[in-house]
Amino acid sequence: MKVSKSWLSEYVSIQSDTDHLADALTMAGLEIESVSDPYAHLKNVLVGKIRSIAPHPKADRLQCCRVDIGDKTISVVCGAKNIFEGALIACALPGTHLPNGLILKKTSIRDELSEGMICSETELGIGNAHEGILILDNSHTPGTLLNETLNLNDAVMEIGLTPNRPDCACMIGVAREIAAIESGTLKYPAITLNESGPDCSTMTSVTIENPDHCPRYAARVMLNVQVAPSPFWLQQRLSAVGLRPINNVVDITNFVMMETGQPLHAFDYDLLDEHRIVVRTARQDEKFTTLDKKERTMESDMLFICDGKKPVAVAGVMGGLNSEIHDGTQRVLLESAYFQPTSVRKTSKRLGLNTDASYRFERGIDPEGVIFAINRAAQLMNEICGATVCKGIVDVYPHTIPSVHIDVSVKKTHQLIGITPDQEQIESLLKSIEFTVNPIDEDLIRVNVPSFRVDVKRPQDIMEEVARLVGYNEIPSVSPGSAACVERPSRHLFYRQYIKQSMIGFGFFETINYSFISSDSADRLKLTSDDPRCHPVALLNPISEDQAVMRTSLVPGMLETIRRNLNQKNVNLKLFESGKIFLNHSNAPLPQEREGIVGIWTGTSQIENWQQTETACNFYDLKGVVEALMHRLYIKKLTFCKPEQADPYFRKGSVAWMMVKQNKVGILGEIHSDVLGAYQIKQPVYLFEINYEALYPMIPEKLSARPLPRYPSTTRDMTLILDKAVQAKEILDVMKSCNEKLVSDIQIFSVYEGNPISEGKKSMSFRITFRSWEETLKDEKINQIHTDIAKTVIKTFHADLP
Amino acid sequence: MNAPSNMLEQIQSDALESLAAASDESVIQEIQTHFLGRKGVLTHFLRNISDLPKEVRPEAGKSANVLKKKLETAFHNALSDIQTAKQDQEPGIDITLPGRPVSCGAFHPLTLMNQEICDVFKQLGFEIVEGPEVELDYYNFEALNIPKDHPARDMQDTFYISDNVVLRTHTSPLQIRTMEKRKPPVRIIAPGKVYRCDSDITHTPMFQQIEGLLVDKNIHFGHLKGILTTFVHHIFDEQTLLRFRPSFFPFTEPSAEVDIQCVMCRGDGCRVCSQTGWLEILGAGMVHPAVFENVHYDTDQYTGFAFGMGIERIAMLKYGIDDLRKFYDNDIRFLNQF
Repeated sequence: MKVSKSWLSEYVSIQSDTDHLADALTMAGLEIESVSDPYAHLKNVLVGKIRSIAPHPKADRLQCCRVDIGDKTISVVCGAKNIFEGALIACALPGTHLPNGLILKKTSIRDELSEGMICSETELGIGNAHEGILILDNSHTPGTLLNETLNLNDAVMEIGLTPNRPDCACMIGVAREIAAIESGTLKYPAITLNESGPDCSTMTSVTIENPDHCPRYAARVMLNVQVAPSPFWLQQRLSAVGLRPINNVVDITNFVMMETGQPLHAFDYDLLDEHRIVVRTARQDEKFTTLDKKERTMESDMLFICDGKKPVAVAGVMGGLNSEIHDGTQRVLLESAYFQPTSVRKTSKRLGLNTDASYRFERGIDPEGVIFAINRAAQLMNEICGATVCKGIVDVYPHTIPSVHIDVSVKKTHQLIGITPDQEQIESLLKSIEFTVNPIDEDLIRVNVPSFRVDVKRPQDIMEEVARLVGYNEIPSVSPGSAACVERPSRHLFYRQYIKQSMIGFGFFETINYSFISSDSADRLKLTSDDPRCHPVALLNPISEDQAVMRTSLVPGMLETIRRNLNQKNVNLKLFESGKIFLNHSNAPLPQEREGIVGIWTGTSQIENWQQTETACNFYDLKGVVEALMHRLYIKKLTFCKPEQADPYFRKGSVAWMMVKQNKVGILGEIHSDVLGAYQIKQPVYLFEINYEALYPMIPEKLSARPLPRYPSTTRDMTLILDKAVQAKEILDVMKSCNEKLVSDIQIFSVYEGNPISEGKKSMSFRITFRSWEETLKDEKINQIHTDIAKTVIKTFHADLP
Repeated sequence: MNAPSNMLEQIQSDALESLAAASDESVIQEIQTHFLGRKGVLTHFLRNISDLPKEVRPEAGKSANVLKKKLETAFHNALSDIQTAKQDQEPGIDITLPGRPVSCGAFHPLTLMNQEICDVFKQLGFEIVEGPEVELDYYNFEALNIPKDHPARDMQDTFYISDNVVLRTHTSPLQIRTMEKRKPPVRIIAPGKVYRCDSDITHTPMFQQIEGLLVDKNIHFGHLKGILTTFVHHIFDEQTLLRFRPSFFPFTEPSAEVDIQCVMCRGDGCRVCSQTGWLEILGAGMVHPAVFENVHYDTDQYTGFAFGMGIERIAMLKYGIDDLRKFYDNDIRFLNQF
C-alpha cells in the first residue's frame, strides 16, 4: 500500500526526514519497501512566461513561442490552442522524462528550433486536464521550479502491510503510528456538516436480510450534486497513492477510504428502484454486471446490495454498472457499511475480484469508523460538489460488534518479551496508539482495545504491542538455559547421509530435481496403466503442464536433467538424486511418500588422457558402483538376478534386480532407447534405483570386525571354454561349492568370444584364491582341489579346457 | 719378504688411495678389477696363501677376507654415489603432465548449506525431524492458527491436491506433528522441501526451508534473539549485525522478521540489498498460544519460539549465486563448483 508523506502531514506533524521516517516505520512493523518521489521527473520543468507568439512558417497548426524561463529566453514550438502572450506555463527542458516515456531533447520541428516543451497537466502527470496546456495563475514567477512553486514535493512510501494491520491501510492509521513513534499528536480532520436537505429517513430506507454477513449498513443521501472533475489537490492526493481520478463524487469516496480505511460506495440515487437499499444474499447462479463491465455469476452465499427490485452492488467488493455515478447524476446515495470479513473474502476469492474495498473489508475495518467516514464524505461532497446533505443517517446496526477488553499481567509480559517495563511505562506506550489502560491490581491491567485494532484479541497481542513500541532491538539477546534434549539420531537420516556421501566418493554429483513432473511422464516411461506409478497425485492448480503431478518415480526428473546437460554439451555424467516419490494411497488421506536414490552414468567410463584411451561406460561400470555402495553399507549377500518383470523403461536383457536375501532392493540397467528418444537423449544411459524402505532392513545394525588371516593365500588360474549362455554366477557358485572352506575368492579376469573360439562358445579365465584359516596350504593339496574344481565345472557345464 | 700383514696393509692403502683419486665409473671399475678381479692383487694374495708359513696362514686368510669385504663395500659405495650423483643431475620426469583423472563428485550446494545450518543447530542442542511434503490442510494451516478464509492465507500461494490436502508451504507443520507426539521441552529443527505456487526470477515453485522450534519453561523473546544471533554469527561471521523488526505470522505472537547486515556491501547499500544495507533472511516469533492450545500444551507453564528460513537465500548469499533457478537446473558445470 502506498502512503504519501505530504498527505500524512495533514494528520500529524512529521519531525523526521523521509529516510529516518521510513526506517522508524519499518522498525515499528510497517515495512517500507520503497520510497519514491512522484515528482522526480519534474526536476527539469520550470515556470515560463510566453513573451511572444509567431506562426510557424511551415506548419499551420504549430506556433513558435519565445519563453522566458528566468535567466534566459528560449524558443519553443507549440501546438496548443490555449496559449497567449503573457501566459505563465510549465516548460519542460531537454532531459525531462515525461510520464508517457518521452525523453525531451533539443530539436528542430520543421526547421524551427525548439529548446523545450510547453506541457499540459496530463503530459506532466500532475492532472488529467489534457485539453490545452497548463496555464498557471499570476502568483508564480518565471524560472522557478514547477514542483516547488506548485508544492509538488512529496515522498511516496510503499508499505508491505501484513494482513493483521488493516488499521494501517489508511493515512490516519499510519499517521497514528508516526505520532506514537515521534511522541506527536494525531489530528483527526474536523467535520462540520451543513445538513440542509430533508430528513434522510424520508428519502431512503435500509433493510438487512442477512445481518451475519452485514452487521452494519449506514446510508446518507445527497441532493443537487454537480458531477465534475475533482479539484487539482484531490486528484493529486489520489494519484500520489496510485488511484486514478474519475470524477469528484467517486474521488471523494476513494479519498475518504484512503484517509480513514472505510470503503464507501456512491450510488446514483435516481437509478435505485424505490430509492431504497436491501442487503441480501444472491440466488445461486444469479447474473450481475459489475462496474468493470464484466458479467459475474453469483453463488448463493455471496452478498448483494440491492435496491427495491434488483441487485446494485456485490457487497464490499464492487458496485454495479446499473447504478454507477455518471456525468448527469444529481442525487447520490452514499453507502458506508461493515461487512463480515470472511464473507467478503469468500466472494472476492471466488469471483477472482480483488479491489481496494475487498482488501480492507476482508481484513476487518473499524466497525465504529462507519459514521465518521460517511460524514467526512458528506462534508467533502458538500464542499466540492455543491451537494445538499440530507439530515441524518439511516444507520442499521442489528448486531453490535462488542468492544474488546483484555486483562494483561505485567509479570507475564516481562516473561514473554524479555524486558521489564513497569506498569506505568506499559500504560504510556499503549496510550500512544489509543489503547486505554486501567490498572486492576499490582500486576494486572485491563486494556481497552480501540475498535480499529481488529487484530488484538489476546494478552500476547498486547505484549507484542509493548515489545514493538519499545523496539525489538532494545531486547537483550540471551542464551536459553534449558537443557538440550539429546535424542539418538535417526537411522534413516544417518543412512541417507552415508549413502549420499558414498556416491560422492564414487565420483557422482548430487542433483535435486523438482518433485513435480509432467502428467505424461508415466507414458514416456512406457509404464502400463496397471502400474501404480501411472496414477500420480495431481495438483489442482499446477503452474504448468510440465509440473502437473507429483513424481511417482525419480527417473523422469533425472532424464530431464540429463537432457538439459546434454544440450549444454555436458556429455559425461555421473549423477544421483536422493529424494521422495509420492504414490496414491486409496485408504489414507495423504499419499505414501517413499524415499530412494536414483543414480545414472552416461558418456565415458574413462576419460581420454595421455596415459589412457577413452572408453564408453557400460552396464558393468554402474554395477560396480552399486556393488561398492552395498559394500560400504556392509551388505554382503547382494546378488543380481534377471527380473521376472522388469520396468519397461529398461532395455530388455540389460536389466537386473538387486537382491539381498530374497528381497528386491533395487533395479539396475540400461534405459530403453524409446524412453531415451522421448527425452531427446541420444547416448546410452545406465541407471539404478534403490528404495530405502527395502534397503534399510538389510543393513546390519551392528558391525563386528573379523580377525585378519594368519596364513598366506595362494592363487591358481583356470581358463575354460563354455557355452555362451552359461552365466558367470552359475560357474562361480559351482566352483565355490567344491570347497567352501578353502576357496576364499574367485576373480574373473578375462571373458572372450571370437576367433579362435568357436561360434556359440566363449572363453572365461578365473583366478581362484585358496586360503586356510588353520594352516599354510601345501602345493599338492591346492593342486588337488584345483583339479577337482576343474573336473566338476567341466562336467557340470560341458566345458572344455583351451 | 714382507710380513703378510704388511702386504695386506699395503694393498688396502693402495686400493683406498686410488679409489679416492678416482671420479669416473670406469676408472673405479678398473681399480676394482685390479684389486679384486680374477687376476687382482688381493685375489692373488688369497690364492697364494698356502705358500705362507703354517702359523701365519689362518690369521692372514682371515685378514684378507675382511679386507676383501671392506674393499667390496668401498667400491660398491663409490659406484652408487656416482650413480646417484648422475641421477640427481638428470632432468627427471615431466611433473607438469596431468595426473590420471579421478572423478570426484560433490554434494548439491543446497545440501551443503543445509548441512552447515543443521550442524550449527545440532551444536546448540536441536534435533532434526522430518515430515511429509504432501500435507493435510490442518497441519499446514489450521493448527498453525491460519483458518480457512483468512487473509493470512494470501501470504503463501498454495498448491492444492484437494480441499484438505496441500503441498506444504513451509516446514512449520513439523511443529504441530512433533508437539502432538512429545511433551515439552522440545528443541527441534525441521529441514525440507516446501512448495509455493510461484515461479519467476526470484521464486521457484519448490524450495527448501529450515524451521526451528524451542519450547520450555521461561522462554522469552530475548532467547529467540540469542539463538538466532549465535546462528547468524556462525553462518556468516561475528561482525554481522542483526536487526529484529515487528512482523506478522499467524502462528507466532510477537512475530519478527530478522534482517542481517548486507554481506555484500557491509551495510553501505548495494544491488543485492536494494540499497537498504539489510537482507531479510528469517521469520521468527514466540509461539502463538492458539498453537499451543491445538496441541494441548499448558500455556501457563510453557512458552517457546519458532523460526524459519529459506536455504536457497542463504546459499545464494554465501556462495554468491545470482540466479535462484540454477539450483534446480542441475547443470554439471554449476554442481562441479561446490
